[in-house]
Amino acid sequence: MTPRPWLHGFLDLCLLAMLRERADYGYGLSQRLAAAGVAEVPGGTLYPALLRLEEQGLATPSWGPSESGPRRKYYAITGAGLDVLEQQAGDWRRFRDGVDSLLSAVPHE
Amino acid sequence: MTTLVVASLSTREVGRRRAALILVIALPFWFYLVRRDLTGQSIRMLTLGIGWAISTLTLFVVNASRGVDPRLRLTGASVVSIIGGRLLAMTGLGVALALGYWTLVAIDQDVLHLWAAALTMLVSALVAAPLGSLIGALLPRELEGALALLSVVAVQMLADPAGLTAKLMPFWSAREIGTYAVDGGSLDLVWRGLAHMGVTWLICVGGTLAVFQWRLRLARYPEP
Amino acid sequence: MSDWPSAFEAELLRLGVQPGRARRLADETSQQAAESAATPGDVFGPAHLYARHLMAELNAPAAATTRTRFEAGPVLLSLTGVGKKYRRQTVFQDVNLTVRGGEVAAIVGANGCGKSTLLRICAGLTRPTSGEVRRVRRVGLVPQDGGTAGWLTAEEHFTLFGAAAGMVPGRARSTGVHLATRLAWRPGRKQRAQQMSGGTRQKLNLVLGELHAPDLLLLDEPYQGFDQGAYLDFWQQVFAWRDAGRAIVVVTHLLHDLQNVDHVLDLGER
Repeated sequence: MTPRPWLHGFLDLCLLAMLRERADYGYGLSQRLAAAGVAEVPGGTLYPALLRLEEQGLATPSWGPSESGPRRKYYAITGAGLDVLEQQAGDWRRFRDGVDSLLSAVPHE
Repeated sequence: MTTLVVASLSTREVGRRRAALILVIALPFWFYLVRRDLTGQSIRMLTLGIGWAISTLTLFVVNASRGVDPRLRLTGASVVSIIGGRLLAMTGLGVALALGYWTLVAIDQDVLHLWAAALTMLVSALVAAPLGSLIGALLPRELEGALALLSVVAVQMLADPAGLTAKLMPFWSAREIGTYAVDGGSLDLVWRGLAHMGVTWLICVGGTLAVFQWRLRLARYPEP
Repeated sequence: MSDWPSAFEAELLRLGVQPGRARRLADETSQQAAESAATPGDVFGPAHLYARHLMAELNAPAAATTRTRFEAGPVLLSLTGVGKKYRRQTVFQDVNLTVRGGEVAAIVGANGCGKSTLLRICAGLTRPTSGEVRRVRRVGLVPQDGGTAGWLTAEEHFTLFGAAAGMVPGRARSTGVHLATRLAWRPGRKQRAQQMSGGTRQKLNLVLGELHAPDLLLLDEPYQGFDQGAYLDFWQQVFAWRDAGRAIVVVTHLLHDLQNVDHVLDLGER
């Protein structure tokens, strides 16, 4: 699992990428993050991030029913969100390639 | 504009110090009460009490704003508007106190020249505010300032009225006018008193401003 | 369990969130906890801590990785060979520092090495014994403590400092209240400075330092008495000033603060 300080900078990026695939609600997103092996994100980290995306106009919420329990708040990515995602994904790749090139000499287990 | 805002907020500040304010208002009253049987003595003591009370209060107000003043300067206020505002507020308070006690005297005593009794109290209040601020400017700690004021008032009270020492004291003007109010005599007493007050006021206000101009001076740095 | 949303909402209100928004956030937070079939307390921890955390998060820039650093602007403060002596004793000498618009400089060093004196020299309240200082005219100073009038309320302070800067009382007050909200603080109408907690008084101090929109802000460990949430708000505010093209000089002793600043001046090293 990813150390938390690393995740902090990339959580928004991950969330936008998942929302680009399909609209989803908070708990669903946290399960997808865990399934992808990125991180177990606690609710106290996830929900503020979603709310922030909403307030910055990068994601737009809608309320949907659930088969069991209370209604859910689904988030969909907006045009502005797509722009930010594209830009950040580029940043991320450059960063990742840079780190990879530095680590290439480190032996793999 | 700034002067008026400083003055109104200083008045509010003082108004909130309930206990101190009550003690200040009461102080001249004790002075008055002790010799209430003698019109002349009671008015003289009352006048001195007003002067002492207002100058002490001003001293504390000036000292209490030591932390704020440099920041106000940096924000753009001039020394004259800051200090002038405080003096205006305290003078206003002094005038109100003087008028209150004059009403008491008018009711309670038989005074020869009632208008001169009003004048002597006003003069005392007018001198008191800048005197307190000058002492506050020169002696930064409250205890030292309060002791210095106590000395001034004690010397004023005890000195031979005809001697030079008494004439050099800040409240001599009030004493002269007070003598006219109670005992009558030549109007020269009043004029001399007013002249003395004018000089004292100018020295105290000028001194206060000079000290604060120096203490609150800002280095003038060139723009980069 | 039903206490959690109301405690959360109350804390949001205290932090200066508008009532409607606080209610909405409280409702949604409960629903979000219900999504994972848990109580809010289990998911988010204590209500008041989460409220502050949430506010700090919402005020944060969109993505930390791509935070655009603005081009450094013109020089707003420059110290060249500045020294200070008190009688024979040298406090510091030969200090050089240049801070441009859009930059944050930190002054660090042990107690008694003259950090506050240097800041006062930058402000112009103290004169340097040697060297040259150049700075922009509009400057705001936030002292370590003091600097407020104990018997006045926050709004009266806004009026007073606004008047000093030539603002009419109404505008000074609304500006002050607005700036306070950014520090998650809603000034009480009747509360005097002497009745405020240390942290709140420091918020007042901060607001007074920036009320007249200075180009250069000088901060002397201004977060004494701040809790974690207020501390985060404070740094966010510093970065907001920076991103608006202002220059900030902050005296600090927390190494943690240094990772995001542009210049570090260590007075103790000399």
